[in-house]
This record gives sequence, C-alpha cells and structure tokens, in this order.
Amino acid sequence: MKPLTAIVTGASEGLGKSIALELASRQIDLVLVSLPSSGLPELAEYIRKNLGVKVTVFEADLTSAENCTDLFDVLKRRKVTANILINNAGLGNWAWFGDMNTGFYKKQIELNVIAPVLLTHLFLAQVDDERTAYILNVGSLAGRFVVPKKQVYGATKSFISYFTRCLQLEMDSQNVSISLLSPGGINTKPELLVMNHNLKGIAKATITEPDRVAYEAIHGMFLGKKEIIPGGVNKLMVLLNTILPGFIKDMIIKSNLKPVVKM
Amino acid sequence: MRILVTGATGFIGRYLSFKLAEQGYNVVALCRNVNHPYLIPHKNITAVKGDILDRPSLISAMKDCQQVYHTAALAKMWRRDKNDYYNINVAGTRNVLELAMDLYISKIVYTSTCGVWGPTIKHPMTENDPRIDGFAIDYERTKYLAEIETRIYANKGLNVVTVNPSRVYGEGPITDSNTVGKMIYGYLKGKWRIIPGKGTQVSNYAYLDDVVNGHIAAMEQGEPGNRYILGGEDISFNTFFDTLQNISGKSHNMIRLPQRIIEAYSHFEKLKTSLTGLPPVFLPEFAARLRRDQKYSSQKAIAKLNYHITPFAEGMAKTINHIKNL
Repeated sequence: MKPLTAIVTGASEGLGKSIALELASRQIDLVLVSLPSSGLPELAEYIRKNLGVKVTVFEADLTSAENCTDLFDVLKRRKVTANILINNAGLGNWAWFGDMNTGFYKKQIELNVIAPVLLTHLFLAQVDDERTAYILNVGSLAGRFVVPKKQVYGATKSFISYFTRCLQLEMDSQNVSISLLSPGGINTKPELLVMNHNLKGIAKATITEPDRVAYEAIHGMFLGKKEIIPGGVNKLMVLLNTILPGFIKDMIIKSNLKPVVKM
Repeated sequence: MRILVTGATGFIGRYLSFKLAEQGYNVVALCRNVNHPYLIPHKNITAVKGDILDRPSLISAMKDCQQVYHTAALAKMWRRDKNDYYNINVAGTRNVLELAMDLYISKIVYTSTCGVWGPTIKHPMTENDPRIDGFAIDYERTKYLAEIETRIYANKGLNVVTVNPSRVYGEGPITDSNTVGKMIYGYLKGKWRIIPGKGTQVSNYAYLDDVVNGHIAAMEQGEPGNRYILGGEDISFNTFFDTLQNISGKSHNMIRLPQRIIEAYSHFEKLKTSLTGLPPVFLPEFAARLRRDQKYSSQKAIAKLNYHITPFAEGMAKTINHIKNL
C-alpha cells in the first residue's frame, strides 16, 4: 500500500518538529509547513537522510488565506494526496491583555483559529475516501481552564476544542477520525524554556517533553481517541477540574499565577 | 600577543592555556581562585582573579588582550540552584561577548558543545542539522541559548567563532565534568562494573589534545559566525570497555544493567534529591539519553581547520597511562 502522507503545520520548532519526527519514524511521508527562514529545509533534509521518507517543504505564513489554498494547489499539482492533517501552528502569549497591541491579537486569531478551519476544509475536500483520514487539532489545557494572561490564546484554544468536538459528531459516519490534543506546557522553544524553568509546584509538574507529547499524540490519533491529554499530572488536573467547586479552582489558579506574575 | 582564557582551570581551558603559553603567547588565565590546583604553572601564564559574572574583573582581565577563548561554563550534571546554569552559561557568555565588543577584541573562540544537538537517529550530526530532542538537560539548554547570543553578536559584527567539542577525554584532572575520566578511573580501581543497557549505545569521544588544537585552529582559520564540531570516533559502550580492558590489561566482570533499572534508579535519585537536597548520582534526563546514540561528524573542521582526530585506542592508551599515575 502507498505510504500515508501527513501535513504538519508549525513544523520547524517545538511540538511540530517532534510530531514530524514521530510520524517519519512510522514511515509516513511529510508535508512540512512553517514560516520562511525558520530552518525548514534543513529539518526536511535531516528527516529524508535519517528516516528515509519523502518530505515536501512549504514555507509560508498561514495567517494569509491564499497561502492555505496555495498549499493544497501545490500538493494537487504534485499529485500528493494528504491522509493526515496536524493543525499544530499556533501563536502563544503570556501577557496582560493591555500589554500586547491589536495587531498581535489579530495575527494570533488568524493563525490559531482561521488557519485550522480553512486547512481542515481544504484537507477534507481532497481526501481519499477509501483510506481513513486523520485530523489532529492541537488545542491546549488552557482551553479548558481559565488562565489569566492567556485570555486570547485560551479563547482560541476553546474555539479549537468546540470546532473539533462538533466535527467529530458531524463526521461520525465518515471515514475520518478527528482528535483533539490538549497538552499542558511543553518544553519547546528556548525562549519559553527560561520561563518554564522558573515555574514551581503544580505549574512545573504539568510541563512535559515534546517527544513524549508527540508520541502520545500520534499514538492516540491512530487509536481514534477523541481527546488526548498527555502526561499523568495533566490528566489529574482535568479530573480535578470536573469535580472541584469553582471557588477552589480560582484559588489554585491565582496561587499558581503569583510566582510567575512577579517575574 | 596577550590572550584571555576564561575557564582556565577547567578540563579544556587549563590545557589550552598551557599549549598557548608553550607557543609563546602571553596567556591571561581568568580564575575565581588564582591558586587553583588545576592551573598549570608556566612563565607565560598569568593567573588573574576574576569571574565572568563580575564585569569589572572581566574588563580588567580582558582590556589589553587581542584574543579571547571563552571556555568557562557550568558543565555539571546537577546543581542545587538551577538558575546557575542560565547565569553562568548564558548571562556569563553575554558578558564576555559584550565586553569583547566594547574592548575591540580582534577574535573570540567560544567553546560550546555537541550537546546543543544532543541525540542522533542514524547518521552523525553535522553543523547544519537541527536539534531533534527537547531540552530536558539544563546544560544543553543553556549552551543552546548561549549559541543564540553568539549569533546575535556575530550579526553585530563581532568576530566570534564557535567550536562544539563532543565527549572530551584525555590527560587531565578527574572532575565532575570529566565523565570519561571518572569512568576510566573507576574501572581501573575495580569500582566501575556497569555497562548501561546492552552496551550498544554510541557516543562520540574527542581526545583533549585534538580539541585544544582545534580551538587554536579555529582562532587562526575559523570563519566569523561559523561553528565547528570538534569530535572523535563514534564508539559504543561495549567497544569503550573492550578497549579499556585491552589497554589496561585489567579485566572485570562487567554487569550489563538493563535500561529500565537505570531509569527506575534515576527516578529514585531524583526523589531522594528533592526530599533531602543531597546531590543525585544520576537523573532521569540522563537515563533517558542512554537510549539514544550521540554521533557527530567532524568533517567540516577536518576540511576547514585541518582538524586531526587521534585514533580512539591511541588516545585511550595515553589517558589510561595518565590516570594510572595520578
């Protein structure tokens, strides 16, 4: 049988890179998408050389709708049918609402909300009905918990969560499996690492390594899991979230925020 | 010519200082303790008290120098205060680069590590390859961040070259960061009896002499803003201990400790450390690394810097002989 092909957005760094490596180690061909000059050709060459799969590179800013359409036009011209879509690209933030400018929030919403919707639509239009298609939408635990300083980010991830659950219901009878990945903090970009390493207590325990998250994500996706929550502590947090009364949750969030706010 | 060496009491820095002094350069050896036992006495080496975190001391050490070798780093596996890794490796490096810019230093060689790449899949890593692993190890994370600093300063016009030694072994003191030396010393005493896993994990071993020559070649011929892997042969644990046995003539019954036991033990050690504050023998992030190979290619340094790799057996023979006579 022909090898599967997976599109991974935001593939140059962090979780996207780990997911790309995880898929390639399962002999799945890749279409890697990331911003220009983010080291994507080097990563692609490394994966071809070491894991022997086909890798297509698409360097573009997904906040532009034309680039989303372009991606699938390019694949069509090259006669590549994608069987897997990993909507991973996203823009995070950790700042009081007033501290970032309007342009930032616009970009954040375009990348975290509009791009996954468009890509999912375009992806579903080209899938081969004979083979199971998979979509993995990267949400966040921040979409479940109300976390100050993550106001817009958390809201975009809540959107992804709603969008994914709704599609799961709509497409129940079709040969498409859609999963939501809800990770906590991940040790990814070096800039974030400095911040993560200053965290303490519960906040620190929720931080996981990207290769571990990538493994659990892809494993869960192929099992057809509706939601994948990597890491034991994170699973516990979600459980507590469903049973604890609201005022206690607020206390926990505020106490966890304190050491970080001081930074 | 006056040359500043930071980390002059370290495994690489002390021998680099000595070699430069032998070549007739005046070496300013930056030390926190000028009477440090690892400093090699030489008429061309002047020990200057200072610290890369103390800018005034760094300025007075650097001000009449033309070149700087920045080898100082925190390379230990564990430190009670994790912030030390960031402060020494990143902020310390930033201090050196910034002052080098202010004081018109003509060229700097920065000692990074192959740890900025970490594990490999199949082929040895080259300078252009991306890092494929996360950043669980503090040393690797902060050295990675420090390289970003060197790129920022290279873009500002500073003539800085980065060298990336792999796992360095050779003739020198047995310290916490000299992990190979510790292993050989333990084996010769009959105390080290463990081979991790099946012994097939491969690491790259760089001979100290080669690494120091590579530093000097990088100063002479390195292209600004470039980095060069200074490695050696890719060797498995099995080959490592076979070589050690053949050369030393000592044979021990080695225990191949299963990976799962090593990992379980490392979690116990982590718990012990978090409860008691006592230094751990081993940590989970290092145990996990034993599952992966760490192979690196020195082809760029060989082609551009005339880098020479001493055969592993030859370097080991000299190292074993040195450790026997300690």
